Amino acid sequence: MIQKNPFLYYGKKLLSFCLSVFVLSVLVFYIARLAPGDPLMSYYGERVEKMSVAEKEWARDKLGLNDPIYVQYVRWLQNAFRGDFGISFKYKQNVLTVIGARIGNTLLLGGTGFVLMFVLALGLGILCAWFEDRWPDRVICRLGTVISCIPEFWLSLMLIMVFAVMLRWLPSSGAYSIGKAHDVGDRIRHLILPLSIVVINHLWYYAYMIRNKLLEEVRADYVLLARSKGLNKRQILFRHCLRGILPSYFSIMAISVPHVLGGTYIIETVFSYPGIGTLSYESARFHDYNLLMILCMISGVVVIFCNILSQIINEQIDPRIKAQEVVETTEVKRA
Amino acid sequence: MSDARFTLVGVRPATERLPTVKAPWVKGKPILSCVILAGIIFCCAFAELIMTKDPTYLDLMNYSKPPGSEFLFGTDTLGRDMFSMIWYGGRISLFIGIAAAAISTVIAVIFGSLSGLAPQWLDTLLMRLTEILLSIPNLLLVVFLQALLGKPNTFSIALVIGLTSWVSIAKVVRTEVRQIRNSEYVVASRCMGGGFFHILWRHLTPNFVSSIMFMVVMNVRSAIVAESTLSFMGIGLPIEIISWGSMLSLSEKAILTKSWWILLIPGLFLVVTLLCMTEIGNYLRKSVNRSQSNL
Repeated sequence: MIQKNPFLYYGKKLLSFCLSVFVLSVLVFYIARLAPGDPLMSYYGERVEKMSVAEKEWARDKLGLNDPIYVQYVRWLQNAFRGDFGISFKYKQNVLTVIGARIGNTLLLGGTGFVLMFVLALGLGILCAWFEDRWPDRVICRLGTVISCIPEFWLSLMLIMVFAVMLRWLPSSGAYSIGKAHDVGDRIRHLILPLSIVVINHLWYYAYMIRNKLLEEVRADYVLLARSKGLNKRQILFRHCLRGILPSYFSIMAISVPHVLGGTYIIETVFSYPGIGTLSYESARFHDYNLLMILCMISGVVVIFCNILSQIINEQIDPRIKAQEVVETTEVKRA
Repeated sequence: MSDARFTLVGVRPATERLPTVKAPWVKGKPILSCVILAGIIFCCAFAELIMTKDPTYLDLMNYSKPPGSEFLFGTDTLGRDMFSMIWYGGRISLFIGIAAAAISTVIAVIFGSLSGLAPQWLDTLLMRLTEILLSIPNLLLVVFLQALLGKPNTFSIALVIGLTSWVSIAKVVRTEVRQIRNSEYVVASRCMGGGFFHILWRHLTPNFVSSIMFMVVMNVRSAIVAESTLSFMGIGLPIEIISWGSMLSLSEKAILTKSWWILLIPGLFLVVTLLCMTEIGNYLRKSVNRSQSNL
């Protein structure tokens, strides 16, 4: 549905984006503080055990944890608008500094993984559609189904076992060896295992989707027409069919960002990869409120943005896609 | 009026042809998967009959033993017999999978049909809310819920997983309900004073049950994955409650000592079970697509 006034259309989208982000921030803020646990643990570590009640009270006061939650929230919001997101309890630094040191790693892992997956899935899907029901297609489909059933953490463990422990080809954890933070080759070696897990784990799902969409497409009447005009198989597949499915593929890739993001969290933890995944896991478990808040906001903003982006793609580029279809094809992967 | 113009000329009498070979009833059905899955479930349910050792007994003399005649699948780093643990722990893994899927399905059906039957503005609001929920990383939600529920046990894990995995089914239910909510029989039922749950059960559920069946099976699958991932990361079941996931949480030690069986065997059972469920799920989803390719 294309609206007449683009300003109104994008204005509405922007408004709903801001509203969603706001609600998200309130939700996360409340959930984090309502969950039982002592944030002082992450600030003082083991020393909390020895502190007296008065000292604890003073510390909570200093960190502003004694106010009602909405007061804390308003204060957080005011500071956030000035660009001040508070300090991390554990690292005693501005949260942005803490994240800044690590976000590059995650972007590298997730971003490269995403692009690789995107390209490989397209290739694999086309390959399968080309050889529909012949042996390459069958073999790939079988293999894909099996691989898509392997939990990512287990696959990581097996790969670590084989390539890092038994063969000693690749390092098993971290983003770089000690003292080699600027060595590009070393970083790449550390990236290979986590990256292959990111790609392998999601690849088949998208490849299969492309395959099915292409197979649906080749049954359309225009393909028959193109065929009767004398175009060959390759021309039809690449020039016509592919063009027909790409918009829906883009929009599904946009929706799939959270899955990839969530998967990256687990993979980062298995490989002790210093990215924001490990960081947010830590901060959630040990009640490092400010850090948790900003991390949730970052991932939330990315996800909500991608959702709206996919809506826009659907509505503007390819109005044929119904929301239903998008829903049906995305729920499988949500683990 | 003669019937002459209605009689056809030159029709060759054709004998009715019946298909000589009937397609076997098993064709296209995931028989193998069903059999394997049933086997695994059966063995887990009657674990006591096939266990060779006490799965909880810590045999400190025989820790990290490779598979052999005494310990069929070897022992883990704490000296427990893996063969017995697989069946004993599978029970908990499968239970969590089914329970979590049941919880999430119930929530999803109620939420989805509420949203589907609600007026436009409420529907939009509820759907927005689910999107926001989806944008909180699942792992973090699980950590929060775990903290709320206290010390993890089998039920709390199932509950946590169920509570965090209903959104996608709810969306499908909502779409289906929106399509049928204005049909005559629903309106009629309403006019006769049918309540929400009556309409839901008698009129709506039969319509969307087929479209969510596949997703429910897939949810069992992803709940099992979630349990094992959580247990592996140390926020799921503690090590003394045996499940396929908590068996894998010993992986770090296992990797250091190169005890491959501690990783491989529970993982294989996990993967085979998941594979069978996927096959069954795919069968449920499979839309029969017999038209010819135009290419």
